[in-house]
Amino acid sequence: MTKTLVIYVHPVEGSFNSCVRDAVVKYLSKHDHEVRLRDLYAENFDPFLSANERALHHTPPTTRPELARDVEDLRWCEAIVFIYPTWWSGLPAMLKGWIDRTWMNEVAWVLPAGANTIRPRLTNIKRLVAVTTHGSSKFVNALQGEPGKRIISRSIRVMCNKLCRARWIALYGIDNSTLADREKHLATIGQRVARALR
Amino acid sequence: MNVVVVLGHPSADSYCAAIFERIILALESQPSHNVTAIRLADEKFVTAMSTAERVAYETATPLISDETKRHAEVLLQADALIFVYPTWWSGLPAQLKGWLERVFVLGVAFRFNDNGKIRPNLQNVRHIIGVSTYGSPWRYVKLINDNGRRTLTRAIRMSTGLRTRTMWRGIYALDTCSQQQREEFIADTAEKIVKRLEKSSR
Repeated sequence: MTKTLVIYVHPVEGSFNSCVRDAVVKYLSKHDHEVRLRDLYAENFDPFLSANERALHHTPPTTRPELARDVEDLRWCEAIVFIYPTWWSGLPAMLKGWIDRTWMNEVAWVLPAGANTIRPRLTNIKRLVAVTTHGSSKFVNALQGEPGKRIISRSIRVMCNKLCRARWIALYGIDNSTLADREKHLATIGQRVARALR
Repeated sequence: MNVVVVLGHPSADSYCAAIFERIILALESQPSHNVTAIRLADEKFVTAMSTAERVAYETATPLISDETKRHAEVLLQADALIFVYPTWWSGLPAQLKGWLERVFVLGVAFRFNDNGKIRPNLQNVRHIIGVSTYGSPWRYVKLINDNGRRTLTRAIRMSTGLRTRTMWRGIYALDTCSQQQREEFIADTAEKIVKRLEKSSR
C-alpha cells in the first residue's frame, strides 16, 4: 500500500521501456499500491530550465505555478519508480530536466541562511527505484562509473527520508540481448519493483 | 587546432558564462587556434531527443535536423572539446546532456566495425576539458560523486582516441566564494587551458 509515483521516460510508444512501464504499473495496481503515472514525453514536459526560471532558484514554488502538479506529486508520494533508458551513461535529458526543474527550493531542499549545503525536504519519500536499460555491458558501465545510478542513489536520495533506500534494477547489454532475455525481464519486473518497495 | 567550446548555463549574465567568454577570448588571441563557441541556450537548442530522432537513431542517418547536423560537422573536425557548465544534481544540466544525446550519434561519436561492434569515431579529438561550477563544497561533491565529470571524462572519452587527455577545473561552494576567488579562478582557468592546448599544438 505504498503511494508510488512512476516517472516514465521514453520517446517511442511500443519501446521495450514502455512494456516495462505497463508491466510495472499493472503489477503494482493489482497488489494494492496507489500508483500515479507520469509520462513526461506524452505530457510534452519541457526539460529546459530557462534563465528566467534559474533566477527563481531561491524563491518558493508558488513562483512556478506551471510546475504545481509536479510539486504536489513529489510531496504526496512515499516512493518513486523511475523507468527510463540509460543514454550516455546517465539519465535522458528529459528526466534530468524534470529533476533540474521540479526538485526545487522548499520542495526538495532548503538552504538555511549562511550554510553552503542544502537540507532535505522530501522526507516523505522512503524508496527510490530505478528501472533502466543499458545498450552496453555491465563492464563498460562500471568503467564509466555509473553516473546515472549515482545521481539517483546518492545525489537526489540525500533530499529524501534519512532511511530512504535506493534500488537499482537494470537490464545491461540490451543491444545484444535475445528475445528470451527481454521476455524474462518483463515477466518478473513487476514483482521485483514491488519487492523493492517493501 | 580546432577547439569547440560549449556553454551549458542558460543565463548569459551568469558566472559560468563569464568563465566561458574569458576562455573564448583567451583562445582567440592565439593565432594557432580556430575556435567555435556554442552557446546552447542562446541557440535555443532543443533539450530532449524527439520521437522522430529516436527512431532515426537506429538508422544509418540519425541526424535529421539542421542544428544537430551543423554541430556534428564541427565535432568531426574538432581537436579539443571544452565544456563549461554548472553542476546540477551532481550531473550535467539537461540541455547539455541533450546535446550529447542528439549530436553524439552513429557516424559522429561512434561507428560499427565489420563485426557489428561499436567503435569510437571521434579519434580526431585529443583533448577533453571540463570547467564546472559547484554549489556544494569539494568534499560533498566527492562523496556524492561528480557524475557530470564522469560522463564527460569517461563515457564521452571512450568515443575518442586512446590518447585523449583530459583536464578538469572546478570551483566549489560557489555561493560562499568571494569575488576575488571567482576572478582568480577565471583568470587561472583560461591561462591553464591555453597552456595545455599550446603545448600539444607544437
